[in-house]
Amino acid sequence: MGGHFGAPHILIDRVDKRYATSSGPVDALRQVSLTVAAGEFCTLIGPSGCGKSTLLGMLGGLVTPDAGRVVVDGRPVDGPDPRRAATVFQDAGLFPWRTTLENIEFGLELQGVPRERRRSVATELLGPLGLRDFAGKYPRELSGGMRQRVAIGRALAIDTPIVLMDEPFGALDEQTRLLMGEWLLDIWRRTRKTVVFVTHSLQEAVALSTRVVVMTARPGRIKTVVELPLPYPRAMESAELVTLRAKLWSEIREESLRAMGEA
Amino acid sequence: MTVALIRIVIAAVALGAWEVVGRLGNPLLYVPPSAVLPALGRLLTLQSYPDLGENLLLTLREIAIAYALAIAAGIGVGAALGLNRLVGRAYGPILAALYAVPAVVWYPSLMLFFGLDAVSKIAFGFLLGFFPIALAVLAGIRQVNPQLVTVARAFGARSVTVFRKVMLPAMLFTLVGGLRTGLALTVIGVIVGEVLGSKAGMGSLINHAYGLFRTADYVALVVVTLVLIIASDAVAGAVEHRARRWTS
Amino acid sequence: MDELSIRVRLLQLTSVAVLLAAWEAIARAGWLDPLFVPAPSAVAGALLTVGATALAGLGDTLAKTAVAYVISVVLGVGGGLVLGSLRPVRQAVNPFVIALYGMPKILVLPWIVLLLGFGTLPAIVYGAIHGVFPILVLVTGAVRDVDATLLTVARAFGARRRQLYWKVVLPAIVPTVLTGMRLGIVFCLLGVLIVEMFAGVRGMGHVLGSLANGFRAPELFAATALVSAASIIIVLSLDALNDRLSHWRGDAR
Repeated sequence: MGGHFGAPHILIDRVDKRYATSSGPVDALRQVSLTVAAGEFCTLIGPSGCGKSTLLGMLGGLVTPDAGRVVVDGRPVDGPDPRRAATVFQDAGLFPWRTTLENIEFGLELQGVPRERRRSVATELLGPLGLRDFAGKYPRELSGGMRQRVAIGRALAIDTPIVLMDEPFGALDEQTRLLMGEWLLDIWRRTRKTVVFVTHSLQEAVALSTRVVVMTARPGRIKTVVELPLPYPRAMESAELVTLRAKLWSEIREESLRAMGEA
Repeated sequence: MTVALIRIVIAAVALGAWEVVGRLGNPLLYVPPSAVLPALGRLLTLQSYPDLGENLLLTLREIAIAYALAIAAGIGVGAALGLNRLVGRAYGPILAALYAVPAVVWYPSLMLFFGLDAVSKIAFGFLLGFFPIALAVLAGIRQVNPQLVTVARAFGARSVTVFRKVMLPAMLFTLVGGLRTGLALTVIGVIVGEVLGSKAGMGSLINHAYGLFRTADYVALVVVTLVLIIASDAVAGAVEHRARRWTS
Repeated sequence: MDELSIRVRLLQLTSVAVLLAAWEAIARAGWLDPLFVPAPSAVAGALLTVGATALAGLGDTLAKTAVAYVISVVLGVGGGLVLGSLRPVRQAVNPFVIALYGMPKILVLPWIVLLLGFGTLPAIVYGAIHGVFPILVLVTGAVRDVDATLLTVARAFGARRRQLYWKVVLPAIVPTVLTGMRLGIVFCLLGVLIVEMFAGVRGMGHVLGSLANGFRAPELFAATALVSAASIIIVLSLDALNDRLSHWRGDAR
């Protein structure tokens, strides 16, 4: 899909973000600019504390930049907007008093969608989410992978053009993580949403993304952007992929070493 | 810094409002803070109540006896319930249910049985202090890691040794909490008993001052009793702090 | 029911039966002064004679307790929502709340009675003073500690301020509110009974006090058993309600 011209879907224009901490101010992001085209699977990767999550928060309208601007479809982002973007959080963030179905319905409920309507939307999602037998279960009764799928279902239910994912599989074990990746890819290819995905995992980035954005250690800046114009599903052993992964790894390694040196 | 300032302002405003209301209101009902200090002076110099010392001592003695009994019975009953599964499951819920009864309903029976003297106050203070201690011992024993007990047994420790060397340290955290709550409730029990019906003790003096509309003396007595209560809790708090630092 | 549960029930029943039988036997043998410790059979008999008076007193007490309780819950939950949500207010006021919670209310009892006289009003006020603080303190803590992630999630999905409260804060604090309400009812009842004993003209506390003053031990024991049973039933039903409304927490208790 590399061939989109005209106004970018998502435009991040020279944003800065600085946080006040007990040990003085910390520059989370400095002069970050990035565009994302519609339908892309764009992954942000970089060492811990490089501001990936902050950047994602800005796209979701949860974090306000100190300088610069974030524009989606020509409109500046100035707060959360459930018609624009849905977010999947790192530790699922499910409401423990709601069942699977009720959690998925959450966004629709806030928008005042009538009960039967939102129930049918959520029920339809259960199949692709692989949660058909768990509709009435509470989060504590679900495994980590299931909980994360409920969180993704909650984001998909409000049917936004953009889905923001903040290390959605970070807390899962390796096997579950691989399967969830395959599953997500399948969903993404069917819905053609724009996905901005934050991860620590090189493997995940290479397997899923159309483009990988490598960020520098604090203060977060964009170090390099790697295009991955490869068909899906991707064979991890293909020469092309191995080369790309090696290239990405050398970029990230350098930054991670710097981050470790500072810590 | 600013928070502390705001708190001081709130306290000052409350005292000021009390002063204003106290001066404007019926002197039989309201005592401004400025009138409390002289009353406190008269009380402490034994002018208003020459027998303050004996009464204070009596209340302290009632508390001490009631608390000692509550500790002994609380630890005994709690241990019996905690160490035997069947006994614990049978009597634990009964104990918890009785704890849900507002204890003051037992007081008239205690008064009838033990009379108006110190014994009924000791009995009531004991009753209030007993429950939190027994329940804390029970909870403490239940939270001891059974693996530790198994290890100690494997090393040949006998039951008494296991209790002293393994269970007591492991449950100390919960136990000292229960002991502190137990002391607070014992103190309250003794004073409630004295206020509701007695011939001597701090509660009886409070009741006396109230009955004669000596409201300033009443407030002064309340202040002295409050100091007694806060001091006892501070001692218990310090002990609790020490014990907890040692365990963790 | 497994074997242990059966044995537990059996032990409970036999213990109570043995206790009552022994008590009865000792009383009949004349080892106990019936003036102070009547036999269980005498207590049971007294239940018939004192029943009407005691039930009327209990009804009166429970009515006052109910009013005090509603006041406690409304003020406790409302105040807890305010203190829990507004950090500056909480920081300024909390030490005073804790001090008032910890202060033995018995010390202000004579003053409350001086101020409000004998009768219903001081009982309600004193009951509410007892009930409001545990609820207030627990709800404040629960609102303060609502999982920040859940609030962020709700904001990300476009929740407005009112929706944050209705959809996140209130459901999240339900178990704590119920715990507070369970504590609060016992405290309210305690406060009401104390006022009735100290300066009552009606109500269960007054009934118990007069029976004790009249040395009517069998009636006193019967009335005490009645009010104890009533409070145990109230607390157990609140426990059952708590279990039903907090089932999403699993076996957290």
